[in-house]
Amino acid sequence: MFIHNFKYAFKTLFRDKMLIFWTFAFPIILGTFFNLAFSDIESSEKFDLIKIAVIENDVFQNNEIWRESFAALSDADNAERLFQTQYVSEDEAQRLLEDQEIAGYFVLTDHGPTVVVSSSGIEETILQYVTQEVSQAEEMIQTLTASAMAKGEISTAGDQNAFYAQLYSEVMGIAQESEPRIQNISSENLSYTMIEFYTLIAMTCLYGGILGMVAVNLNLANMSNQGKRVSVSPMRKGKLIFSSVLAGYITQVIGVSLLFVYTIFVLKVDYGDTLPLVVLLTLCGCLAGLSLGIAMAVLVKSNDNVKTGIIISVTMVGCFLSGMMGITMKYIIDKNLPLLNRINPANMITDGLYALYYYDTLDRYFVNVASLLIFSLVMIVVSISGLRRQRYDSI
Amino acid sequence: MGNVIEVQNLTKEYKNIKAVDALSFEVREGEILGLLGPNGSGKSTTINCILSLLNFSKGSIKLFGSEMKPDAYELKSKVGVVFQDVAVFDELTVYENIDYFCGLYIKNKGIRKQYIQDALTLVGLEEFTKFRPKQLSGGLLRRLNIACGIAHKPKLIFLDEPTVAVDPQSRNNILDGIKQLRDNGATIVYTTHYMEEVEILCDRVIILDKGAILASGTNDELKELAKIEEKITVEISNLDARYIEAIKQFETVDMVTYSDNLLLITYQKGKNNLVALMDFLKQEGIEYSKIYSERPTLNDVFLELTGKELRD
Repeated sequence: MFIHNFKYAFKTLFRDKMLIFWTFAFPIILGTFFNLAFSDIESSEKFDLIKIAVIENDVFQNNEIWRESFAALSDADNAERLFQTQYVSEDEAQRLLEDQEIAGYFVLTDHGPTVVVSSSGIEETILQYVTQEVSQAEEMIQTLTASAMAKGEISTAGDQNAFYAQLYSEVMGIAQESEPRIQNISSENLSYTMIEFYTLIAMTCLYGGILGMVAVNLNLANMSNQGKRVSVSPMRKGKLIFSSVLAGYITQVIGVSLLFVYTIFVLKVDYGDTLPLVVLLTLCGCLAGLSLGIAMAVLVKSNDNVKTGIIISVTMVGCFLSGMMGITMKYIIDKNLPLLNRINPANMITDGLYALYYYDTLDRYFVNVASLLIFSLVMIVVSISGLRRQRYDSI
Repeated sequence: MGNVIEVQNLTKEYKNIKAVDALSFEVREGEILGLLGPNGSGKSTTINCILSLLNFSKGSIKLFGSEMKPDAYELKSKVGVVFQDVAVFDELTVYENIDYFCGLYIKNKGIRKQYIQDALTLVGLEEFTKFRPKQLSGGLLRRLNIACGIAHKPKLIFLDEPTVAVDPQSRNNILDGIKQLRDNGATIVYTTHYMEEVEILCDRVIILDKGAILASGTNDELKELAKIEEKITVEISNLDARYIEAIKQFETVDMVTYSDNLLLITYQKGKNNLVALMDFLKQEGIEYSKIYSERPTLNDVFLELTGKELRD
């Protein structure tokens, strides 16, 4: 009888157009929109090289730090290349600037470095920022060299050059690590789009709550006419509900699988090479969604529409807080209200997927897996206490 | 024959309102018991208490000699229920719906297949097996609702207003099916507020109002409670008041009313009342278009007992 009820519960859920829309179609539609919207944003945010000019005078030629710095930041082989640099005279640089062919130019004189720009913007700011960084590095190197000479640690010109080169390497390395990383984000797995797809997966998992709610309601005499009929049958309530909920879980897993297939093969989303872990987290997410729906079915004393509304609202708010409408929200909540995101199942899913790509270890990933299982357990335990009731005051 | 249902002193309260008030009755094996009463009289509540769906304040309920409880699965396997509200799955076909509910009772697929076929034949849905419920008319949907409740061939069947909002053809089909169930040996509890159905179907009747039993017995026994024995209705245009007064003087006349060109005369007893009236009308030269005589109905009994119409 377990299989009999499972079979028909599965058929009933799978043929319910409203359920299929929310758990199958809606995430795919939303994913398509995300893909359209965010791929445009990302392509628009691809980092274009900043066209600049450097005045090639004697002072610049004799200053190794400045010369090497601009050479490195303009090197075509450098993955973190920032500038497309022309080495020209000051007149030529002025002409290029007036013709808006460059964002600005750099001139080094005996009085120090100067940046000349004609307007303010991100490119001009970056040029200014780089100039300050290199200038600070130069000062640091000069100070340390003078100090070493004063202490007699270096004496010969050869020693001085070697010391100077070592310092240059160290200081530039530190500076590079401490500065905000300006890079072409489209070359990384992690992107705005990926965060959106993580929250989309979280949303799909949690929408499974509707399946859980319907599966339970169909077996409760106080919630549906069908529930009245099955309640007077000789089949045990636990068996009825478990088989129906299992059917709901399988339906939900099929829905999420379809989403994966669609996003991987149609939208060309790259989930990386940890797919088994992604699947494990998703299965736990589905369980959390389903258990949330079961709890709603049992605990909320209202009709199906109200319960569905609550599940959709909880899901959408949860996804919003975990970064669906912008990753900034996730950071804000993580920073200011960390507890909220720790009990937010949408964030557990999103954060677990995020951790898979962002961290080398799986610690944070498994914390999220465990959190989802604990959340599910709590929901199920709370639900069971409500489901034990066998007679009702009214139906 | 023994009692299939024994209800003793059943009381159910909703927030200090007694929905069922110290109800005691029994249902004998093989009979159709009618629970007759207006909407809100406690018929459905009584059935839901018997089925252990509802808590009740006081009383005891036995089915087949054993106490009925939510976990009395052995007893539940002998019971079939057709609820007032249609309880089928819109996503399943007619056949699948019957198979699903029958499968909660009958494991063997071969037997189940035969039972489903029998149920389809009983309610006349053989040609609609692949239809979804939303494709069925109201009457056919009610028939499906019945088929889902009785396909497993239960020994005890509760039918809670199964003919509400049903077309005459489906109603006749349903009533014929219920008689057939009784003929096949089932005991039936039938609730309705249609007195005609009770008169056609039921071996015994319990009249309920405000959760209490007003009267019980066979149709004839109950009609004995009515003080009238015959009703005659005549369609006459513009009847003079003096004729009404004259009719009131007839020996066995209980009451005479005249409105909307309908003359209604009730008689306490007597024979040949119709002949005597027709003779009077002919003698006085009063023309009429229709005249007919009726025996008192259960509605008259209800009116007598409560002072209100059954369908109020």
